Amino acid sequence: MEQYEAWKALLRSGTDLPFWQEFYVKFYQAFIEKDRWLQYLEGVGTTLLVTAMALALGIALGVLVAIVRTAHDQQRPGKKNAVLGVLNGICKVYVTVIRGTPMMVQLLIMGMVIFSSSRNFTAVGALTLGINSGAYVAEIIRGGLMALDPGQAEAGRSLGLGYIDTMRFIVIPQAFKAILPSLGNEFIILLKDTSLITVIGGKELVYAAQGIYGRTYEQMYPLIGIACIYLVLVILFSWLLSILERRLRQSDRR
Amino acid sequence: MIDVKDLTKSFGGHMVLKGISEHIYPGDKVVIIGPSGSGKSTFLRSLNLLEEPTSGTITFDGVEITDPKTDIDQVRRKMGMVFQHFNLFPNMTIRRNITLAPVRTGLMKQEEADETALQLLRRVGLEEKADAYPNQLSGGQKQRIAIVRALAMNPEVMLFDEPTSALDPEMVGEVLSVMKELAADGMTMVVVTHEMGFAREVGNRVLFMDDGKILEQGAPSEIFGNPQNPRLKDFLSKVL
Repeated sequence: MEQYEAWKALLRSGTDLPFWQEFYVKFYQAFIEKDRWLQYLEGVGTTLLVTAMALALGIALGVLVAIVRTAHDQQRPGKKNAVLGVLNGICKVYVTVIRGTPMMVQLLIMGMVIFSSSRNFTAVGALTLGINSGAYVAEIIRGGLMALDPGQAEAGRSLGLGYIDTMRFIVIPQAFKAILPSLGNEFIILLKDTSLITVIGGKELVYAAQGIYGRTYEQMYPLIGIACIYLVLVILFSWLLSILERRLRQSDRR
Repeated sequence: MIDVKDLTKSFGGHMVLKGISEHIYPGDKVVIIGPSGSGKSTFLRSLNLLEEPTSGTITFDGVEITDPKTDIDQVRRKMGMVFQHFNLFPNMTIRRNITLAPVRTGLMKQEEADETALQLLRRVGLEEKADAYPNQLSGGQKQRIAIVRALAMNPEVMLFDEPTSALDPEMVGEVLSVMKELAADGMTMVVVTHEMGFAREVGNRVLFMDDGKILEQGAPSEIFGNPQNPRLKDFLSKVL
């Protein structure tokens, strides 16, 4: 502490300090002075919260859209269900619009136009990210459902199992295993994309870093700092995902 | 038992079945032979509506199954099907492969189904594989399990769609012998196959299909010993 003040004064007066002393001062300034690490911690909390909410929403939307779209495409020719046709149309528009516009623009529209009076930036951010993620998750799930050998569903149906049971016990578990790496990828993208909610005032990691270098005029340490935090989070979740994948691969033993 | 009237099936503009009428009686062992692309698999798959017929009717035990109001799941519970590529569920153990349908359809309790599964597995000599996964088995073993899985539903008729075509030659015998036993037990069977020996030995009726039609049918001795249709003669000269 005293050491910090002393070196800081030297640095201010224009003295050239050895690298490690300068590093100490700037590191202290970016993370420890005035308990600034608490702001990063809060940022991590918001980042994880937004990720979790967006992920839940994204998967729920994705499953719904994927099931509607596959059910529609797998109908017997000449026996199209009109309700399913309308739902399929809605799902198609949703996927097209969300995938066809930048995430940043979607966030700005949601934050400044649709929910311009809301002060709950975290919720608006999570909602937007969830809706965005849902479109991508839907396509991942649809790919998984379509890639499965149709013989699997046929075998289930030929045993007298209904459509729902066949999906639940045979198709979905196998499709889930196949798409887990892509879902993991989507999850990681989502985690990093939470940084964008800063533009509508969300108080996550980037917001914390901006706040701090706004006071200290020293950008490098806070920015490199949050980069490291993101990296650690992503490595941690990748590791958890690989454990899950390994567990699901049990039936592949030969 | 199964009555088929004027069955046709088109894929897009291509007509695969061109009007088939046929009756399958209880205890029948019908073997369907014919060149590839003749529509024999499509015909078999129409019988439990895995293929939706374009026109015509199929009646099973007095129920018209081509009627859209019929609950097809109920009908399929009485019709076992065995596929060329086995189609075992790779995400489940053998035991669960066999017991899933009887339990989920309410036919049996789990313990009852487990017991049935074990008995059937013993019958095909694979009881020690109950807790294995399909990927750990050979092709012949998989197909025997697939037959057991269908039998666990206590079907009235068994449909076989080229059950030995995807097998290595040395494994064909073990699957055929299970099918022969089944035939000897009096099961009604409809079999699409290229195994002419099996057709001759087990079938009580052989149907020769080509170009979406049944061109000739009769007892195996007539079909193989005294074929009439020139296309059947030509086919037999190539496969025998």
